[in-house]
Amino acid sequence: MSMGYVVLIPLLPALAFALLAPLSRRARTRAVPLAVGAVLGSLALSIAAFLAVWPGGHAGEPVWQGVVTIAHIGDRALSLGLQLEPVSAVMLLVVSLVGAAVQVYSLGYMHREERIGWYYAALSLFTAAMLALVLSNNFLGLFMAWEIMGLCSYLLIGFWHEQEPPRLASIKAFLTTKVGDLGFMVALAVIYAEVGAFDFHTVLDHAWTAASATPVALLLLFGAMGKSAQFPLHVWLPDAMAGPTPASALIHAATMVAAGVFLVVRAFPIFEASGVALTVTLWVGLVTALLAGLLAMVQHDIKKVLAYSTISQLGFMFIALGAGGSTAALYHLVTHAYFKSLLFLGAGVIIHAAHTQDMREMGGLAGKLPVTSLAFASGSLALAGIVPFSGFWSKDEILTVLLHEHQYVAFGIALLAALVTAFYVSRLWFRVFTAPPQQAELHEGHRSMLAPMVVLASVTAVLGFFGPTLGGFLGHEIPWPQLATAAISTAAAAAGVALGWWVYGRRTSVVNTQAIKQRFPHAYGVLANKYYFDLTYGYFVVGGYDALTRVLAVFDQRVVDGAVNGTAAAWRRLAGGGWTFDQRVVDGAVNGTAAAWRRLAGGGWTFDQRVVDGAVNGTAAVVKAAGVRVRTLQTGSVRGYQTLVAGAVVLLVIWIFVKGV
Amino acid sequence: MTVGLPQLLGLAAMLFGIGLYGALSRKNAVHVMMSLELMANAVNINLVAFSRFVTPEAMTGQFFAVFSMVVSAAEIGIGLALVLAIYRRKKSVELDAVQELKG
Amino acid sequence: MSETIPAVAFYLLAFAALGGAVSMMATRNVVHATVWLLEVMLATAGIYLLLGAEFLALVQVLVYAGAVAVLTLFTVMLTLRRREDAVRPFPPAWGSLALASLFTGAVLLAIRGFCSVAPEMPAQAPGIEEFGIEMFTTWMVPFEIASLVLLVALIGAVWWTGGDDR
Repeated sequence: MSMGYVVLIPLLPALAFALLAPLSRRARTRAVPLAVGAVLGSLALSIAAFLAVWPGGHAGEPVWQGVVTIAHIGDRALSLGLQLEPVSAVMLLVVSLVGAAVQVYSLGYMHREERIGWYYAALSLFTAAMLALVLSNNFLGLFMAWEIMGLCSYLLIGFWHEQEPPRLASIKAFLTTKVGDLGFMVALAVIYAEVGAFDFHTVLDHAWTAASATPVALLLLFGAMGKSAQFPLHVWLPDAMAGPTPASALIHAATMVAAGVFLVVRAFPIFEASGVALTVTLWVGLVTALLAGLLAMVQHDIKKVLAYSTISQLGFMFIALGAGGSTAALYHLVTHAYFKSLLFLGAGVIIHAAHTQDMREMGGLAGKLPVTSLAFASGSLALAGIVPFSGFWSKDEILTVLLHEHQYVAFGIALLAALVTAFYVSRLWFRVFTAPPQQAELHEGHRSMLAPMVVLASVTAVLGFFGPTLGGFLGHEIPWPQLATAAISTAAAAAGVALGWWVYGRRTSVVNTQAIKQRFPHAYGVLANKYYFDLTYGYFVVGGYDALTRVLAVFDQRVVDGAVNGTAAAWRRLAGGGWTFDQRVVDGAVNGTAAAWRRLAGGGWTFDQRVVDGAVNGTAAVVKAAGVRVRTLQTGSVRGYQTLVAGAVVLLVIWIFVKGV
Repeated sequence: MTVGLPQLLGLAAMLFGIGLYGALSRKNAVHVMMSLELMANAVNINLVAFSRFVTPEAMTGQFFAVFSMVVSAAEIGIGLALVLAIYRRKKSVELDAVQELKG
Repeated sequence: MSETIPAVAFYLLAFAALGGAVSMMATRNVVHATVWLLEVMLATAGIYLLLGAEFLALVQVLVYAGAVAVLTLFTVMLTLRRREDAVRPFPPAWGSLALASLFTGAVLLAIRGFCSVAPEMPAQAPGIEEFGIEMFTTWMVPFEIASLVLLVALIGAVWWTGGDDR
């Protein structure tokens, strides 16, 4: 059974990038179909790989593995490799399907962009890195792909770099995730020091004790929090919405931000050995899920609502991980990737149609955009957790894990977050689609944009029924939901939707948030300012650096300058004492000698003037005349001097060559 | 098809020549600095190649290459600082803008 | 077989290095030139790996590909006032080209003459451990001097760039 084609899955988009990147802008635009073809090829090969792993079930055992030793450092071999096993097979399907959908969609969405070729190059590189990440069989390769994704994220957020906000957002995203990456990097060093290898098999089979596992797990978690925008490193994701919408769908909703969850899934045995790390993961997830959900309720920008929703849903995945349900987390990752990218693509069509991202200026789109509204409804219902859409099943699975582990407080918070989720989803839906129309001219998106959405919407609608099958494939059990938990979660979701309808859908006029604002001024202010996170970071991180430099400057002025001035003063006093001695004794001696000499010189004066002066002046005249000629050589031109030196060297080389030394 | 010392030296010579051309022909100071780095890089290839072929045990060439890297790192640091200082005065990084030494 | 793989790798890397260097000269955009320089440096690091100089390969990536390229990019960005300033037209410098070709030709001819007496590649080369031991025994004093050189360069660079009062 030859499975070598697995290598091609990440290689095809990488080749597309290598082909597009060096081209000129016009040639790149023409080569865009190549990039789309490459990702479609990856999709086909991913399906083949998935079928090759089918029926799966053997947890962790790779079906195929390919390792290359790239270098020997001393007697240590440094190797990178890919492996295909159930988890990576599932992730391959997710990444390549969403990637292909986004690339096809972008044909329509970005066709007016002048730099569409560069957009596709960056998108291809990203897809290649993400595919390599899910296939990697070691932490080092995973980290490399992880960093390439960070770079692509930076490039795509700042795609419209002529404008100020995307440029700032791209820098903010890069730096914030880099803070997390630092944790990942230190974790790699600790892993290598502890185990002496990077590949998953060796590292995970290592006998981890709680003491040795806890620092590694916490550092890895820190890296995952940066990438997956978990509290308190979540601040970059909402700003990242300044990038093109399809790129947001792929990178900041479906795949890259889920890489943090994927990392924890991969390293899960270390987390289990630690115990403490699992509790931390659980609470990070709980805080994030609830806080980000609350923030999503007050946003007016449709993409910002979806961004906070993504943070909140990633929080749900961390909750599942923290409760010990890595399969549940992976399940929610898969369903979320499909329905959230669908919502983003829908938002793209809406933004194109309405020419605004502000939901207050939208309304009544349901009749004008029939296909989009249906697809969007499928995604919204999945996000809200309404049966039978995919989000219901995976969210239910997370709640089941919490109950099973007797985490009742966490269960309550998660249920509240689910209610909040349903509320902001219905707010979004009613505002955009059923509120009274604000604009007359509205056009449905192009076919190339609608087709990917229809595919994603149908996946979202039916994926939930394959939960137990997926569980069997992954080698873990994903049971059908129990009636009790299903009833509770459905009740929460229904309550959220009903509340959303009561506030935003019930009236015929556009809701005036002013009323809510006036009734709860403090709560609204806190939410509208995003819990003052950006301000706090501004004060304490950036401001702290400022204050430090100011303190150092004062130290400089007082202590260092003081020391220098003091020394100077001491010297001056010392010199003052010496002065008197100087004037009296030394000057007297010098003057006396000078007078004697002057008398002696009087005789020689005539000879001096005639002969010696004549000779000196003559020489000076000759030198001066020569200088006037020679000074033209000194052009002052750096390049002239360079050429002279180089010419001299060339002559020297030729001379050596001719002489045959 | 084997690789010996001559091939490596040839590669280094060609890189050096390209760097030399760049250093001589460019007006932009940053570009000249980069060409100098290219030339230093070619020299380092020579050093490492000789080290591998002639003194593999003592690794003398490798150590020379390390120190050569130190020097060129220092050089580019100082050089680019100078470029910035010139830019502040002249609002230009063209080498032709600097002619104070003209006699 | 074991002979050809390093040879193929060498010719690929040499092509990458030379192509990068030529592209660096051919482009009019300073930023692109920096990226091409980075490519040359990375290819050189690969050649060092082939020559069994792992430490140098790592230092090459860190110092040249990392620090020098970033420093150059920073300088380019700090000295650009407009986006268009990145693109610099350059006159065809036939004199420089002739001089450089003359030099390269002479050296290549010299190397050709040297071909017949060229030594074969020794089979074994010491690894990174021996390199480290040598570095901190035989080459200890030069190593310290090198650190001093870097310190002086650091202070000099700060002095030249820092402060508006100069």
